[in-house]
Order: sequence, then structure tokens, then C-alpha cells
Amino acid sequence: MDLKLDADDLNTCVQCGLCLPHCPTFRVTGDETMSPRGRIQLMREVQDNDAPVTSEVVDAFATCVQCRGCEPACPSNVPFGHLMEQTRETLVDNGHMTPKWQQLALKPLAHPKLLKAGTAALAVANKSGLLPKRLGLPDELPVRQKPLVASGDDVWLFTGCVMDAWQREVHAATKRVLEAAGFGVQPTNDLAPCCGALQSHAGMGNDARNLAAKAISALADAPVLVNSAGCGAAMKDYGHMLGTDSAAAFSKRVFDISEFLAEHVDSLPAVEPLDLRVAVQDPCHLRHVQRVHTATRTVLEPFVRELVELDDDGLCCGAGGAYSVLQPELAGQIRDRKVGAIERATPDVVASANPGCSMHLAQAGVETVHPMTLVDRALNG
Amino acid sequence: MSARLTVTDPVLHRLAEEVGVEGPVAVEGSRTRWHIGGAADPQTRLVKAPTGIVEYVPDEMTVCVRAGTSVADLHAALAEQGQRTGLPERGGTVGGAIAVGENDVHVLGRGRVREAVLQIRYVADDAKLVTGGGPTVKNVTGFDLPRLMTGSLGTLGLFAEVILRTNPLPATTVWLESSDADPFAVLDTILRPSAVLWNGIITTVQIEGHGPAVAAETARLAAIGTWAEVAQAPELPAHRWSLVPSELGDPSRWNGATWVASIGVGTVWASIPQPATPTNPVVAALSRRVKQQFDPTGRLNPGRVPGAH
Amino acid sequence: MAGFLSSVRRRLNLNQPTAGDGDPVVEALRAALDPSRVRYDGAERTLLSHDASIFDGGVAGPVCYPLTTAEVQSVMRIAEKHTRNIVPRGAGTGLAGGAIPLGAPIVVAVTRMNNIIEVDVDNRIAWVEPGVVNLDLTRHLMPLGFHFAPDPSSQQVCTIGGNVANNSGGPHCLAYGVTNAHVLAIEVVLPSGEVAMLGGLDAEPAGLDLRGVFIGSEGTLGIATKVAVRITPNAPAVKTMLLSFDTVRNAAHTVSAIIAAGIVPAALEVMDQRITQAVETYVGAGYPTDAGAVLLAEVDGLAESIEIDANRIAEIGREQGAIEVRFAADETERALLWKGRKTAFGAVAQIAPDYYLHDTVVPRSRLADVLDEVSAIAERHDLIVMNVFHAGDGNLHPLLVFDKREPGVIERVHAAGDEILTASLNAGGVLSGEHGVGVEKQKFMDLFFTDDDLAHQNRLRQAFDPGCRTNPGKVIPSGHSCADIAALKRVPREVWA
Repeated sequence: MDLKLDADDLNTCVQCGLCLPHCPTFRVTGDETMSPRGRIQLMREVQDNDAPVTSEVVDAFATCVQCRGCEPACPSNVPFGHLMEQTRETLVDNGHMTPKWQQLALKPLAHPKLLKAGTAALAVANKSGLLPKRLGLPDELPVRQKPLVASGDDVWLFTGCVMDAWQREVHAATKRVLEAAGFGVQPTNDLAPCCGALQSHAGMGNDARNLAAKAISALADAPVLVNSAGCGAAMKDYGHMLGTDSAAAFSKRVFDISEFLAEHVDSLPAVEPLDLRVAVQDPCHLRHVQRVHTATRTVLEPFVRELVELDDDGLCCGAGGAYSVLQPELAGQIRDRKVGAIERATPDVVASANPGCSMHLAQAGVETVHPMTLVDRALNG
Repeated sequence: MSARLTVTDPVLHRLAEEVGVEGPVAVEGSRTRWHIGGAADPQTRLVKAPTGIVEYVPDEMTVCVRAGTSVADLHAALAEQGQRTGLPERGGTVGGAIAVGENDVHVLGRGRVREAVLQIRYVADDAKLVTGGGPTVKNVTGFDLPRLMTGSLGTLGLFAEVILRTNPLPATTVWLESSDADPFAVLDTILRPSAVLWNGIITTVQIEGHGPAVAAETARLAAIGTWAEVAQAPELPAHRWSLVPSELGDPSRWNGATWVASIGVGTVWASIPQPATPTNPVVAALSRRVKQQFDPTGRLNPGRVPGAH
Repeated sequence: MAGFLSSVRRRLNLNQPTAGDGDPVVEALRAALDPSRVRYDGAERTLLSHDASIFDGGVAGPVCYPLTTAEVQSVMRIAEKHTRNIVPRGAGTGLAGGAIPLGAPIVVAVTRMNNIIEVDVDNRIAWVEPGVVNLDLTRHLMPLGFHFAPDPSSQQVCTIGGNVANNSGGPHCLAYGVTNAHVLAIEVVLPSGEVAMLGGLDAEPAGLDLRGVFIGSEGTLGIATKVAVRITPNAPAVKTMLLSFDTVRNAAHTVSAIIAAGIVPAALEVMDQRITQAVETYVGAGYPTDAGAVLLAEVDGLAESIEIDANRIAEIGREQGAIEVRFAADETERALLWKGRKTAFGAVAQIAPDYYLHDTVVPRSRLADVLDEVSAIAERHDLIVMNVFHAGDGNLHPLLVFDKREPGVIERVHAAGDEILTASLNAGGVLSGEHGVGVEKQKFMDLFFTDDDLAHQNRLRQAFDPGCRTNPGKVIPSGHSCADIAALKRVPREVWA
């Protein structure tokens, strides 16, 4: 089957295997079919040698967390994330993966009202103990919240879908921190309802592209600041995804919140640091895709007593957007490794800039806070 | 084209002829470790390995030497170029030292005998000349027969010639002794002593290297005791024990003996022999199969068994 | 909503046995191991038919992921009962085809036997399972002040079991020695299914050094299930220096001069201009891309000692025409320089999608001459050659890069490779310094060894594996091997055919 993969991209892999230890699914299974090298080889077998797309082949692709930890590890610069997204898109189009009901499950993300309604229903169901714990939902889902109000137009604060619905307090904190640094903040709210990352990962390319186009046309001029690593990575990829000049120009305006604040950290008031030993758990799409994870440290450093690194070389926690729901067993095994690394670091608190990671880790009893929440707490008590 | 390792040296071919294809046969060196591995079958015909350094290129840090050469002669020649090998300096031949495989007292500094042998040529049971290993300092071409031969007591093949790795002689060597230092603290105090010996009362340490480094290490040792420079290693009793390093903390197992223990290594030289330890039957059977393969008629050094007391 | 989302809990059953039902070997293996750890599907079997080399020979039969020594024993006994061959496998980073199946053998992947069982600081050893990743072990030991000295370039992924099988080296084995010097004991499951402890933790284990011959036997003598490795104290001081030269020749001369001066650096690595440029693009470590060659030299040990050696190395470098001698300013720069060196092979894909990496050793004094010959050979065959190598050991790694889609290029690559091997042997070298023989170099074995030498290697193999079922057809060439290699390779590829 033609997976529609670029032949040169596919050929870039020389099978050296240096990616293997950076792949969370290979780490927990030791199985070549669950490694980047193996998955690329399977793409070649399917595309070049017409190997049948068996359930095992689909599994090999479906079990990829798409953390892209393999990319910085690859000396040949294989664009693995793009290969995997394209592979999934072709398999979805051909009915080999992502059943219709899963696609439906992602639809509400693009429709804020639907998501809010759904969230309210979830909040009630969650409180009543009706939902399985493995869904990793926060204990206190907001039943109703007020939207954030603009304080200026220096920067856009991208509020997104899941995060806005479930973790609006993080947005509020981010907004206060930006304002403390002297910026007028305009929340995107319903102007750009969703970045399209989850759709893209699931192989629903058209939905993702529509959302991207919507965001690009709605958010003009100012820097677009994103405090969810997955959304930031997706929006920085709009240029590649849409292949247009305007998309590429837009992507250049997208910054992770810490990436942006690291350049303005001197503008924040000097305050007494929080008396906390903070472990930084880098979201994969911040570290491996955006590769701006050092900025998180630059921003946090003045505001906490001590920063401590995990010893797992930035391996994924297993959250992976919807992954923890779709592949709970693997996601749990991957998380066990992460929890071990966190325990070895003996922090008071874990800082993580991605809602997926936070919810997934919370399932294992690890409380995480967004770096912006910590900075906000130091600034505003 | 013939294989690169084809033996052309007529001296080695003469040894092969002498070994022949029939009757029990063994190589006699200097008999410094003749008792090891049990008594030789009295019917055994004894041959001598040839002597002499075949090729020594100091810049390569390797030396090709015939097995009958004495370690003392070899080391004297190497010393002229500021080098040495890991073979023990206590009399005896190169071939004998490798056949027995016992390490030098300065093993921490000089490395093990088994790591010094790069290539070995031996006469097989059928009088063929066989080469294992290779001439370079690093090599994984084929199975590691030099390791198999080291310590095999000439029961798998009779050694004719070896290529050894050489090491630079250190600029400075000192022996220090102390009667109040904890011998087990030495390895945590200094980085790479060449020997740490202890007889229950006195700790003797050898430090080698650049002058300033040896001086600095000597100064560090002062933190764990009072030290005086001495000329050489203490006298070592005759019997050799092989223990796990952490077992040396309990000298009661060689109670009544005079002894010197090599800390961090596990060797103990004692006036009494080490009690025999049981051999794992699977390993023993495997060793017998190896012997059977290499010497199906049992004519190579009969009576001797590596590891037997 | 709740019902809707809970249906999302449906998950793919990853390892559902869907193939091999009815095959008595597969059934027996699934009864002995958990069925999820015996795979027989096309995806798995196809992937495990390869390692990091360009070789293929057959297809993986059932693929087993044992967790314990007892499970490895069961697999061995099932293989013996059904007269099936066995191929052990670690991370699959070998470059000589040592882990590829010939025919359709049972593949035993030890990647899930990855526990560090015990670290015994008193005896300076660690007991590990064979699937432990080399660098994971070192990371585990670092807080205790120790590391595992063999550091092959693939150390972030290769396993200790693989290191034992290949007697792996790495840049720092120049001073510290290869894997053989760092393994004290190995628990081995023999082809008979029996368990043997080879070697021991005591000073001079009694009997034949079967540990020593097992190391480097490329998985042909059994499967290691536990390994006692020596742990090495971290050096209190390290100096890493980068010397640049106009020509590879000057760099090579510097290396021989350093060795001849009686200095034993921790590492001496050379990269030529092409590979340096590729590496610099990937890591941005500050490698000079305009130099003809760079020499990465490292000395470690006592501060008082390395100062002397480092200065002497710098002096020798200048005498040999170094255009620049630079010391790594801090640990970050040092780490970056090493990251560049250790990912060099992968970085070549920036130049061409395929590579063939050679591995020979020559006397150090002959390095410069052999390197000249290597470039002449590549030129004759119209190929690009890059050199990145463990210069201190004389261990060459000429890298031929190409695009296999170009017609006729594979033949040229092989012809050039043959000539490089011959040139190395003619200079007094050997066939392999650290990658092993595998299937790659069998046909050259009798250029090096005599028939009698090879017969003796086979004697050793027969003592361990009388039935010739463990990784048969590797290392020892046809005519000397216990296996009928041609017959092994005739087994048809049935998977996905």
C-alpha cells in the first residue's frame, strides 16, 4: 500500500538504532515493533514491499505515543513525527485504524460549546464516581467558569480546548504573570477553539488543517503564546502542515510561554522565591519537538528555592494526548518509569507545562503544577 | 595466497616435529610452578620450548617472543625501551607464566596475564602449529583462543610463541608501608595503586606513575595512617589462595598461617594451602568436552588438570 | 457520556498471538513462556530478521522474550527437542550481522531481562541481566562514583549481553581495556539447556578460562543470562582536547607519536573532514569544519598526572603540525564533543542514505599509510569514504557512503570493502577490532587464519554446542563450520512472501 510517505524521508533512516532507548514503548516492551527503527522499517515494508497491513502492523503504529523523543536522538534527522502522522492519516483514510467512534470523540474539541457541555456532564459524572479512574480526569472538573477577559493586545494567549475547559486556572495564572511582566494579554477564547494536535495525531488530517486555517485567520499580528506544549508544537508545525507562506509566517509567531518569558524574565518583579524543591518534567512536545525546554528552567529558577532534573533523559511520561486513554496498559508502564525517576529526584512538587502529562501523572498520585502557576504563586502569593 | 598467520619460522616447526603425533608429551619450562594442577604422568616426554625475542617494535607496544624465553630476559630487553608486560617477575619462562596464568603481585597496576596475551601459537595434539588471536592490540577476529590457552597448563596445546601487549614503565615507583592504616581504606583514598598488600598488621602499598602524581597520592595516604617508604614488596608465602576481595576482611579462614593478602584483588599468599572448593558439575563436564576436543587422545601434559589442587 | 467514554477503554491487544497456532514449536514456547512473549506474526518476524547491518540471510522464526534464566532454559530445551536453531539478540545494533537469523531459527531477545540485580561496591562488581543497556548501567553507577568502562559508540542503546557477545570496545578501551577485562563471571545457558557459571568473582578462578572464550563468541556458545561486570571508579580529573590538522596523515602520525612516547591516553579518536562536517551539523559542538582531520584526545586520572600527559600530547600535536590545540572548557563542551563522536555513524545519512562501515585494526605505525590506501581504493571505485576511528588502538572504521538505489553501487561498495580488508591484512592487521565476524567477514577468515587455526576454533564451538544449533553459520566460515551454511541460507522466506 502506498502510505504516501516521502521516499527520501523514509530513506534517511540507516537503522543504527540510536533512537531505541529514547522510545518509551521500546523501553517498556523491548520489542522492535514498538521502536522508531522498527516502525520505520514497517513503513518501508508496507510502502515499498507491499507487505500486508496486518493487525500487528496497525498495532505497531497505533502504539506510538508520538512523543518524538526519537527525533533529537537521531543523528540522521529522520522526520519521524511527520512520517508517523502521514502513515496514520493514510491508514485512517483506508479504514485500517482509528475507528469512527474515536474520530467522533475528538470532534467536540473543535466545538467549545459542545466541549463545555461535555465537561459539565463529565464533572458531574466524575464526582458521582461514574467514570473509570484511568481516564485521568482532574478530581474537580469545573462545572461552569467565566471566560478570561482581555487586558490589552500585546500578545495572544492561546486558550485552546481541553486546557481551557479543564484547567482555566492555569490560563488565569499565565495571564497574571504576563501582565506582571508588562504585557497586555488577549485570550483567544472562541476565536481559535482548538489547535488540532489530537486530530492530527489520530490521522484526521482534514480536521486538523481546518482548525489550523481557522487559527491563522483569527489570530493576527501579535505573538501567539501557548502554555500547553502539545498545542505549541502543533501550531509551530502549521507551516509544514499547510505548506503556505501565511502558515509559515504564523508559525514563526508562535511561542511557548516559557520560551517567550525567558526573554523577558528581567521584567518580572524580584520576589521571595517559593520554598520548594521543584522537579521539572518536560512535556515531550516542549523538549523533543519545540526543543525549548531549557526556557522553563530560566523562567522558574528565580521563583523557587531549588530546581532538580530527572535522570531519565527526558523520556515520555506516557500521556501522549489521547494515548493514555487508548493504550492504558502501555501508558501505565511508561508512567511507572517516569514515577520512578520522579521519586529518585525527591522533589516537593513537579512542574509540567502540559495538561495531558499533569492528568496522566495525577493518576499515579504524582501532583504536578504548571510552571506558570508556580511563578504566579511566587508573584501574587 | 596463503593465510597471513601461516607459520614460517623453522624453529617453531622443529618444536612441532619434536612433539610429534604420539605418546604423552609436555613442555618443561623452569619448573617454578611444576606442582600446579597435579602431578605430571611420569611417562610424559618433556620438550623445551624455543627461546628468543622474535620481533619487538617498542612504538607498537607489542612484543613477539618464543615461549621458552625467561620472563626476566624478556623484561630486561623491554626495560631498555622503558616498557614491561603483565607477566609475573618471579623467575620462569614466558610459556610457563601463561600456562599457569597466575597474576603478578602488582596486578592492579599491570593488568592480568590473560589480558596481556594478544596472539598465541601452540603445537596441537596432532603436531600441527595453530595460531589463536592476532598481532594487534585490539582484535575480535574469531574465537578468543589466547584466553582459553592462558591457564590451561599446556593441556590443550603446547605453547611455542606469543605476542604480548607491553605497558610503559612508570616514571616513578614507591613502596610504602604502615602499621596503623586500614588496608581496606586505601582503595577509597587513592585512585590506582599497583598493589595493596596486608599481612594482618602491616599494610604495604605500591604507587606508580608520574612523580608529582605519586607524591600527591602519597600525601593523600597520610590521611589514613603513618607511612614509611620501603624498598620492595614483602616476602610472599608459598601457597596461593583465590578469594573474593571482600572475603579478605576475615583472616580466620587461614588461621595459624603466615599470610599476605592482596586487597582489592582477593589473592592470599599463605603458608598453608587453600582447601579444595567443589567444582560445578556442568562446568566440569564442559571443561572435559573442551579437553576432549583439543586433545582427544589425552597426550598433552597428562596428569595435569587446570584448577586441580 | 460516561458510557460513551468508557467505550474508549477498549484497547488494542498488543501481543495477541495471531499466528503460529498449531506449530508445535510455537505452541511449546507459548506454554513455557507467557503467550504474549512469544510472537510469530509477520511484522515481528520481519523486523527481527535484521540488525543494524546491511546483511540478511533468513527470517526470524518464533521470537521469544524470556524474563528469567529458567525461561531461557525452557526455550533452549524446546529448541533441542524440536531440533530448531537459536539466535540470541540484544538491541540489534551489531554491524556484522551476528544477530540476524539464517534459515528460520527461534530468536531469543533478551531485551526484557534488563534488571541491574546487585551493585557490590566492596568487590567493585555489579550483577546485571543481559538486556541491561550499557549506558543505563553507567548512569546507575554514577551516583556511587563508578562506571562501566567499555563504551561502544552505541552505548546508549546496546546491551551488556551484546557487549559480552562481541567483546565490545569503544573509545575508552584504549586505556581501560575491552569488555573481556571488565567481565568477571557469566551465567550461561548452554545449548543443552544446562546452566553454567563461567568465571568467578575470586582473584583467579580455577580451571579453564571458559568465561574468556565465551566473551566475543558472538552468541554461538550459549546465551548469557547474568553477568558480573567490574565497575570502575570515576576518574577524579579529565582533560579532553581537540587537535586539528590539515591532513588525516598528520593526525595519524600524531597518534603513533603519542603511543611511542609511552603515554596511554583514555581515548584517541580521529575524524576526517567529511565526517566532522556531518557531525558538526548534528551536534554543533564547535568541531572545526575546515580542518582536514581532528584528533579527539582524552586523558583521565589524577589531576597531577593528566596535566603532564595533556601538555605532552599538545606538544606532540604541534610537532606534528597541528593547526589548533583546544581544551574542552567544561563538562558541557566535553559531553558535546563526545556526543558528536559517538553519533558519527548515524550522521552520515546527511550525505547519503546508506553506509557500509568497516572495522579493521592495523599496527599504529601503519595508520597513515593504510588510510592513504583506503582513500585511493574509494577513489578507484568512485565512492565517498569517510573516516572516524579509534586511532589509539589502530582500529580503523572506513565508512563507505552511498545510495543503494544507484545501479551497480552495491557491487562497487563490496569490491572496495574487500580491498580495504586486504590492505589492512597486508599492513599486518586483523579483520575486526570490535564489530566481530558475524556473517560479514566469514569469507575473509581464511585469508587470515590457516585451516588448522579455523579447525581449532570449531573444536571450541563443538565443545559448547555439539548439535551446532546456537547461532549456527556465524563466525567460522564454510568448510570449517559445524553448520552447513549454504543449506541454512536456502530456507525460503515465507513471511509476507
